[in-house]
Amino acid sequence: MSSSPAIEPYTLDLVCQLDNVQGMVDALACVRWKRQQDALVELSEHGIVLIVEESGCLQAKVYLQRELFTKYEYGAEGRPKFGISLGLLVDCLNTFSSPGHSNTIEIKYPGPDMELLLKSVDTLNSCIYSEIRTRIPETNAWDYNFEQAGTAPLTFTVKSSALKEAIDDLEWPGSILQISLQKSPPCVTFRGEGHGDLQIDFMYYANTDLLLAFHCDTDVSYGYKYKFLKATTANIPGNVVRENRGSKLTIGRGGMLKVQHLVSVAKAIAPQVESAGYQPPSRIAYIEFFVKPEEPADD
Amino acid sequence: MEFSISGNALKTFARSIICLARVGNELVVQASPTQLGLHALNASRSAFQYITFQSSFFDAYAVTGPQAHFSVLLKAVCSVLRTPVASIDHMSVQLPDHDASKVKWTMECYSGMKKTYWITCNVEPDIQQLSLDRSRFPSSLVVHPRNLSKLLGNFQSSLQEITIIATDQTSFPSDAASEIGGKAVEFRSYVDPTKDGEALLHTQLWIDPSEEFLQYTHAGDPIDITFSLKELKAFLSFCEGCEADIHLFFEKSGEPILMAPKFGVGDGSSSSFDATLVLATMLVSQLHEGVQPEPAEAANSAGGHAAEQVGSEPQERSRQNASDHTRVWSELSAGTGTKSVNGSVERPQAQGQPDFNSQRIRDMNISKGGPAGDNAPGASNSQHLTQMDHAEGSRVRAANNQSFSQRHPSNWVDDASEDEDEDEDEGVEATPPHNEDY
Repeated sequence: MSSSPAIEPYTLDLVCQLDNVQGMVDALACVRWKRQQDALVELSEHGIVLIVEESGCLQAKVYLQRELFTKYEYGAEGRPKFGISLGLLVDCLNTFSSPGHSNTIEIKYPGPDMELLLKSVDTLNSCIYSEIRTRIPETNAWDYNFEQAGTAPLTFTVKSSALKEAIDDLEWPGSILQISLQKSPPCVTFRGEGHGDLQIDFMYYANTDLLLAFHCDTDVSYGYKYKFLKATTANIPGNVVRENRGSKLTIGRGGMLKVQHLVSVAKAIAPQVESAGYQPPSRIAYIEFFVKPEEPADD
Repeated sequence: MEFSISGNALKTFARSIICLARVGNELVVQASPTQLGLHALNASRSAFQYITFQSSFFDAYAVTGPQAHFSVLLKAVCSVLRTPVASIDHMSVQLPDHDASKVKWTMECYSGMKKTYWITCNVEPDIQQLSLDRSRFPSSLVVHPRNLSKLLGNFQSSLQEITIIATDQTSFPSDAASEIGGKAVEFRSYVDPTKDGEALLHTQLWIDPSEEFLQYTHAGDPIDITFSLKELKAFLSFCEGCEADIHLFFEKSGEPILMAPKFGVGDGSSSSFDATLVLATMLVSQLHEGVQPEPAEAANSAGGHAAEQVGSEPQERSRQNASDHTRVWSELSAGTGTKSVNGSVERPQAQGQPDFNSQRIRDMNISKGGPAGDNAPGASNSQHLTQMDHAEGSRVRAANNQSFSQRHPSNWVDDASEDEDEDEDEGVEATPPHNEDY
């Protein structure tokens, strides 16, 4: 049930077009915490998913659903998967994007040798074309099997810039970052201990802008390796941080942490057209991080 | 001990911490019921800064008992203040009791986040007490930080030490300053000859105090002070941020200098805090470099014998404490060391500037006796004095660099190689004096 190799050049697994390459670059940059990372790409009729992992403790997923694309022709049977270098993909996509413009790109898979093919389609007189080698993925992506912790979800949503600021500040104590949710008074606490201690409190009633949502019916507290938590916010591009949407954090069973960000992939220009009530919600890419707790049974 | 601040006071406090962090590594906090004192001392103990805040500076201030003190790493405090001050609503600092091991810093931000830091106190704080009476300094100048920044901008940014030469505005000294007319103050780059001997760029800047300074007071003989630029620049930023002028108090080389912000008359906030930076200055005066080139000259003009002697002297000197470059300097200037011990005796040989002589005698006291050379270097010294009447510092250094490069007698193969060394070292020296006989 694998996708057929391109012996029939007219039946590609995927041909899609995106009218804002920069949005895709922004989304993928969020999960780029190392120079060299291998990503697993999974194509389906619903869209493209890119997965990156590290040392079995941290996984990131970027969902680019089909509604983001101006054209999405899916011709495969099943779900083709391939491995690709994330750094290479992001750097390559970056060359298609020029600042201040929304550039349209066409993505095709597979090429004659299973490459990922990229082509610029918005200029009449010139064309940028690239082929990126792909690999057969050796293993399947680890399924983090995120399950709800108890009867009710343990989750809070905080402004992305505040989350990033807090995690950046917690670099000082370093090592392990303890996240605690307190039911009453409703409060989220980030705490790090090392040569010095730092505690950052997000109180639900302190400022209506800070914690946009908060659900907690039992007090919980889990520790996570600082470097993994840092990876979840450190690479969000500046313009995305400035948009300051909410980032949602959920603690699942066993303390597994899920961090979700939203990245806009809407066209940069002609905002007036979009703002006529019609800002399609699907012009948002979803970024998900899963972080394993340090002491799984800690509470 | 506990205090809490916000708004502009918090900005000043943050600025103070940043300035102290540029001076030393450890922050010592001393709190009495009426005031809070912060101080920092640099590693080489040549710079000391202290800042005091009256209790009225704070929104709330309380000290239990007669005094509280603690010391923390400045790096840690700077981490605390990483949060932009503009986003902090208020900050409070608390030392729960006298022997508490951690100080608590709490910040409430406008965004709603509350950040609480616990910084571990250093076990044995290095508490310094230093109070210098400002009135003991006979000379002073007041300058706007922007102006001083602009003047310092003429110097290489990597310059580490600077020399300020102050002369009496009313008199016309017989040295180089008279050529510049009216410009009573000179800034000069200082280059440490023991470090690589590279001295690539030297800068001299003559300043008319009435144009550049808001106030200038100096009477009597010219004096010079050489001190570290790094702390001066830190203090400059501090004063600029506080919108105050810099008041610099000095006396002469070897005596410390003192800097303080000078607030405008109508500035109410100035009364609630004060800052002082004390810097050590180099012991030896820089004003008499004109008489120093003779070692190289002697070295070059002499044949093997004298050459070896001179060659060995720098070697010996270099074995001395390298950081004590002031000593090395004065020994060279004494006509390669012989004169250093009996400075007063040999001085009559030096024809020319009596002013320089008197001060050099004082300098000679500092230097160690070098190996007794023959009279040849001395004689050539005098000859060279008349020639190098208004020697540029750079030329002097060029010559000295040569002597340093010729440390090992093995370098002294023949005159030809000496010439090569000269050429390599400095392009500044136009007419190497090695052809002179003495």
